[in-house]
Amino acid sequence: MNKEPVLLKRIGKMRDPASVEEYTGLGGFAALRKAVQMDKEDILKEIDTANLRGRGGAAYPAGRKWRQLYGIEGTPKYIVCNADEGEPGTFKDKVLLEKDPLSVIEGMLVAACVFDSPEGFIYIRGEYHTVRQAFQKAVDSAAAAGFLGKDILGVKGFDFTITIVSGAGAYVCGENSALLNSIEGKTGRPRVKPPHLAEVGLNQKPTLVNNVETFACIPVILNIGGKAFLEMGAEDGGGTKLVSISGHLKNRGVFEVPLGTPFEDVLYAEEYGGGPFEGKPIKFLHLGGQSGPLAFPEQIGGAYSYKGLEDKKLAIGSGAIVAMDESVSVVEYSKKVMEFFVYESCGKCTPCRIGTTRILELLEDFVSGAAEKGDIEKLDAMLTQVMALSACGLGQTAGVAVRSALTHRRAEFEARISG
Amino acid sequence: MNKENLLDTLLARQNASKEGYLDREAIAAVAEEFAMPETRVFEIASYYAMLEIEPQAKYVLEICNSTPCYFSKSNEVAAWVEGELDVKPGDVTGDGLFSWHYTPCVGACDIGPVIKVRDTVYGDLTKETVHALIQDLRNAKNGKKFR
Repeated sequence: MNKEPVLLKRIGKMRDPASVEEYTGLGGFAALRKAVQMDKEDILKEIDTANLRGRGGAAYPAGRKWRQLYGIEGTPKYIVCNADEGEPGTFKDKVLLEKDPLSVIEGMLVAACVFDSPEGFIYIRGEYHTVRQAFQKAVDSAAAAGFLGKDILGVKGFDFTITIVSGAGAYVCGENSALLNSIEGKTGRPRVKPPHLAEVGLNQKPTLVNNVETFACIPVILNIGGKAFLEMGAEDGGGTKLVSISGHLKNRGVFEVPLGTPFEDVLYAEEYGGGPFEGKPIKFLHLGGQSGPLAFPEQIGGAYSYKGLEDKKLAIGSGAIVAMDESVSVVEYSKKVMEFFVYESCGKCTPCRIGTTRILELLEDFVSGAAEKGDIEKLDAMLTQVMALSACGLGQTAGVAVRSALTHRRAEFEARISG
Repeated sequence: MNKENLLDTLLARQNASKEGYLDREAIAAVAEEFAMPETRVFEIASYYAMLEIEPQAKYVLEICNSTPCYFSKSNEVAAWVEGELDVKPGDVTGDGLFSWHYTPCVGACDIGPVIKVRDTVYGDLTKETVHALIQDLRNAKNGKKFR
């Protein structure tokens, strides 16, 4: 397997990551030059062939999303980059935004070219203030070099600008419709769907929303071809994935992992996780952010790929891998996860607002030893209800981690029941 | 003003304010600037976690307690901070300089446990570095970034 990085290849090699000259010297903007010469249908075909799946967490095929917008009439079409990276354990977009921002800009420019979009937005979480400054510098230098503005690359009518929008601390704004509401100057609460954002998006106009890493993959696909991109990864999802490793593994940080790499290598190989931090065996992992499932040793094996994980009822999600060693209680971990959702629930729909709170109260009982016989069943039922009845992805996934804990380590919950 | 600048404008006003929050006057001024009802702007200020509608201490120490940090000893960091400052979460020290509270993930899990003060994240904290950070802030020096 070829382990040469494609997303992180320029990182550390540019003295000034915002410099168009350095970026171009390392292969930058070659894909955009190609794109303006290509038939739009051919660009879409390459992305289809690449089987690029959304890197924000939902893993929706990017080619399909682009085609949906392509088939929709109505102008203008907006290009929006979701840089609200708020899933705990995820810090990979930060690396691209700060250290190779022009690759994200180039990906957005290819989209602008395909959709004849005049205007793009990137929504960067408020906590990433310095990241945002770095990105602004890249936008400014791209504009100064003629890669943003009017008649880009000399193509008459290829006009595109990127505006940076700051978040102000709301996890739910990572949900694409909430993010668009936030850009529109509203409280960042999700919309009821349908209509889908491809039809009714920003300012009621057709809109493409992709994650930072997804946009950064686009130039790679055009440069090496969709087929090569697919072959770099796995059949069910091409390319490489940026993985954020934290918790109790030796090497914490962002790693570029070809999809299809043995899962155990991602955790234990020296080039990636490097094994347990203090020598205590890893008890469980938390994959893809707080909305993802816990993974236990008996599930760890096979390939780190979309299907490889789905087969084990796991998910890649944002690419977060939080490792926990034997010192951590599954019950206490579950409680902390639910605390997060209680804090971040936007309050718009009742199952999520009240349901997460009631689940937390019950989990607190398990931690304190006040849980009674029948509470496991009660917990299980509440998880089902909250996830089935909530309006958006936040509530629908709020119980995933606790449910997986309950499924695989029921005994730990049973042990906390008094009497 | 375009609506996409609203959060930026609110954050900038808050940062420029003496007590680190958006008072009624600030809300009214922003409402006028954006041609929005004051209640809407207030709703937004009260919705987003980084926007404050109450006076704040000069330095608010935000301790990440999402799971990657929490189980990398951020609970101990909280105990050290509470010990140093001798105030409960949310309360301000007598001199008005410090308060502390928990915050969800700030996206620095690779250097957890972390404290965020304004726009700076201090990571890989130990009891000693927490002590030094508070001392530095108290002496109006920029805290060193420990990592």
